[in-house]
Amino acid sequence: MARPHMEPYVEFNEDYRLFDFAGYKGAHYKVLSLDTDTGASSLKVRYDGGYNRKPGLCYSDMEIFVLNGELKVGTETWVEGHYAFIPAGVALGAIEVSQGAEAIVWYNDSEPTFEESDRDHPLALKEGFISVNSYLGRPWASGSIVSPATATGCMLKLLRFDPITEAMTFLYCMTPEFMQDNISYHDCAEESYHIWGTSWMMQFGDLPTGGYFWRPPYINHGSFRSKLGCIAIGRTDSKLHNYFHFNPWTNPDDNQARAASFLYRQRPQLFQWVASGGHNHPHGPQGQLKTQKPPHDFENPAYGKRPDVSALANQSYTFREMDHLHADEYVHKVHHAHKTGDDHDHDHEHGHAHHHGDGDIDHKH
Amino acid sequence: MSKHVQDEKPPMTAEAKSWLEKEIASQEDRYKAIVEEQDGLIPEREKWYAEFLEIVQTRGFSVTGDTRRPIPKEEVPEKPDRPDAMRVVW
Repeated sequence: MARPHMEPYVEFNEDYRLFDFAGYKGAHYKVLSLDTDTGASSLKVRYDGGYNRKPGLCYSDMEIFVLNGELKVGTETWVEGHYAFIPAGVALGAIEVSQGAEAIVWYNDSEPTFEESDRDHPLALKEGFISVNSYLGRPWASGSIVSPATATGCMLKLLRFDPITEAMTFLYCMTPEFMQDNISYHDCAEESYHIWGTSWMMQFGDLPTGGYFWRPPYINHGSFRSKLGCIAIGRTDSKLHNYFHFNPWTNPDDNQARAASFLYRQRPQLFQWVASGGHNHPHGPQGQLKTQKPPHDFENPAYGKRPDVSALANQSYTFREMDHLHADEYVHKVHHAHKTGDDHDHDHEHGHAHHHGDGDIDHKH
Repeated sequence: MSKHVQDEKPPMTAEAKSWLEKEIASQEDRYKAIVEEQDGLIPEREKWYAEFLEIVQTRGFSVTGDTRRPIPKEEVPEKPDRPDAMRVVW
């Protein structure tokens, strides 16, 4: 298993522990959550006055959000609200803390590692480095950048967006008297730390200042309230889509099947291709495609019988042969085949134009 | 670029492995405490669910943004008869 569902967890009730391995000695930490397979972790870290560390790099992508205090990092000064994404292998300058500081620190790929260095690792993806004061340097945006959208009063500041996975790190806030009357779940894992204020969710009750959650995919949360408002830092590990509903008793299996039903009826060709393990295309006679059964949707259990949905699910497209070959097959085909599949003679001199039949263009071997 | 810095990570040190084992055990304890605490909220949660189902029938269900749809009584779900019906930590 990756990380267990930790929700809600209020770290204020726990004591700090002393870090006792290379590169981190002298700092104190609390584990918020931990991937039991990889050692990836979300930590709250306290750097006491006088803490310092030499320049160095980590073999994991790292993120840091400064909660309070001040850290000198190389030539930069990071204060309350500072956010940094440090790709694996990017060397951070020396760290000095004169009066103490606290931060949330994430190691995304593995346990914390440290290698003293004032140069980046040759494979480091340096262009991914981000260093910004999120309070001063990023605007609040409406929560409607995601659709279906949160209610007005929930806003966010996007701090990092991964174009490959659509993972995000963001600040979000809820205004006083915020309310949203639906139950939500996502395909992604979601994580949050409450910097200040209290929000309420119908499943878990209050999440106060210092409250934290790591929530795996497809777990119900909401409806939502915040009496006096709150500000938090959140992350997702992939694309965040809001699946809203009003059935408080569904479990993650129900929710996942419903999410799959959306794919089934909204992207039917993609669903069929994925469900068939990527081989749902005609290598032979038409009609060999096996249509998958519609996944169960607890809100619309009969949706698969709708004529439009069933027509979409049952249609198959015939692509021109060269458009749907695997890479290795393509290499073979372009050299040795033609459309009819009839035997023919390849005994010819290279460099001479010849013709493979109807629709084929003249070409040379 | 097919190779990444993570591919060149040195093996986990003994001290890191020991740290990880200890923290995994602590996390398991925290998880159990959370489950116990959340199970204790079931009577209150029953009321929250009932209030929610009342609200979606009157003020409406938040479909997206500030768009609301009042849910007709016949669409309101009923509590299923299964052991995980009130479970919230998974």
